[in-house]
Amino acid sequence: MGKYLRIWQRLAVMGFKIQTGHPLSSSGYLLGKFIRIVFFLVFLVAIFKHTQALAGYSLEQVALFFLTFNIVDILAQLFFRGIYGIRALIREGDFDYFLIQPVNVLYRVAFNTVDFLDVVTLIPVFVITWIVFKRIPGGIQPGRFCLYILLCLNGMIIALAIHIAVAALAVLTQELENTIWIYRDVMTLGRFPSDIYSSKLQYVLIFVIPVTVMISFPAKAFLGRLNLLWIFHAVLMASLGLWLSLYFWRYATRKYTSVSS
Amino acid sequence: MKKYWFVYSLYWQEGLSRRASFFMERFRSLVVLLSFYYLWSALLTHRTSFAGYDRSQMITYVLGMNILRSLVFAGKSDEIAWEINRGVLSGYLLKPVNFMAYAFSRDLSEKSINLLSALIEVCVLSKVLGIAIAWPHRWDTWVWFIMAMAGAVVMNFLLSFIVGCWGFWTAESGGPRFCLELLLEFSAGAFFPLSVLSRPLQAFLQKLPSPYLVFFPLNIFLEKLNPTQITYGIMTQFLWILVLAGGTRLVWMRGLNAYAAQGS
Repeated sequence: MGKYLRIWQRLAVMGFKIQTGHPLSSSGYLLGKFIRIVFFLVFLVAIFKHTQALAGYSLEQVALFFLTFNIVDILAQLFFRGIYGIRALIREGDFDYFLIQPVNVLYRVAFNTVDFLDVVTLIPVFVITWIVFKRIPGGIQPGRFCLYILLCLNGMIIALAIHIAVAALAVLTQELENTIWIYRDVMTLGRFPSDIYSSKLQYVLIFVIPVTVMISFPAKAFLGRLNLLWIFHAVLMASLGLWLSLYFWRYATRKYTSVSS
Repeated sequence: MKKYWFVYSLYWQEGLSRRASFFMERFRSLVVLLSFYYLWSALLTHRTSFAGYDRSQMITYVLGMNILRSLVFAGKSDEIAWEINRGVLSGYLLKPVNFMAYAFSRDLSEKSINLLSALIEVCVLSKVLGIAIAWPHRWDTWVWFIMAMAGAVVMNFLLSFIVGCWGFWTAESGGPRFCLELLLEFSAGAFFPLSVLSRPLQAFLQKLPSPYLVFFPLNIFLEKLNPTQITYGIMTQFLWILVLAGGTRLVWMRGLNAYAAQGS
């Protein structure tokens, strides 16, 4: 465990030095990330100047869905950002180098890039989420709050499973680097409460690409709108997803024959 | 002129050769379209209009913004900074071409492919979801709309070109560009009609060039503007084009003086 922490620390320091080495570019990206969140919140506030509810949710509740999307999405990027570059790692031979290191290869790939801009972006997101929590009628109830955190973590496990599956696909085919972007784009459907979508799309977002399970479920749990059956479904989905993706990853690495070095 | 047509044709072929990337890009656009379609559908479930748009107009705006985003914001101008930083620009400077016209030609090829694809997506989606599009009732609306779209394309190209020229002074233009593009898309009405925003914010945004990229052309299409407003808007667009063209020339000339052809 200590070894893995040291590796993460080393990679994080390297990532930090790269980003501080390009101050103008990093500031631009950071400001852009903030602007995206602020503008979207401005948009939501503007919408609620014309209406009282969206699919039965108030402004604070809709904002909670959006902020939960940001928390899960940014945390996933923070911890699994390295997967985005796996094709380059394979093409340039670095993946072969990782294979001979006395470290779990998946861990090494996932944490190969640590983006500190995500850490900085998370701070205001957490602050705004806390304010929104307090403004929701009923306030912060410890039980619901714990369930919210647990389901967010569950969402992270699903995100991890998807990232592992994408990495495995890349190892098998040396292509599909864009697959991760499909996941990222579909994730944006979670910015709004899943109730606004058609029943068919809702089905897809629960059972096929579980964006609803990752984002809407934690928010609904906090609002007391999620029954126990769906909580079991979420945990089952995460466990099964992680098991299947790890199986797929092992299969892919077994079949890997090295394409460059 | 023939050589620029050749550039257009070459980049058209190149654009279609990278099919996976192309379809991925279109998929992203489709996800944005779907999410906003369902958002506005939900908001208009129990009401006849929202921020001055009836259901048909609002959904047409959402479909229209997918088309205009593909036409106005698509392009290869983001490569300009990279070409300057890597010294690739030297190759263009030695050729008997005007770099700006060259960049515009390759931008147009990217825009054409995206426009064609966006039109197909919108047609298919409107059939599948049974969307009633609010078509213009008057023929002159089409003329004004096409003029406003052309103005928007030129304006965005000039803005992108200026941002690309930052490459003359820094190798770190990626971040500021990302930031500016977000600002531009939000204030252009590329995600929602600006009428949704508060009046003071709308009044502020109207002073910027961005609302003339998406919001203005789409409001012409939806026949929400009277002839005076359309004429005023087209003239403002023309004025912005003049200002931006002047700015582009200035930045380009100064940039060339600062250019050291590193990396070439």
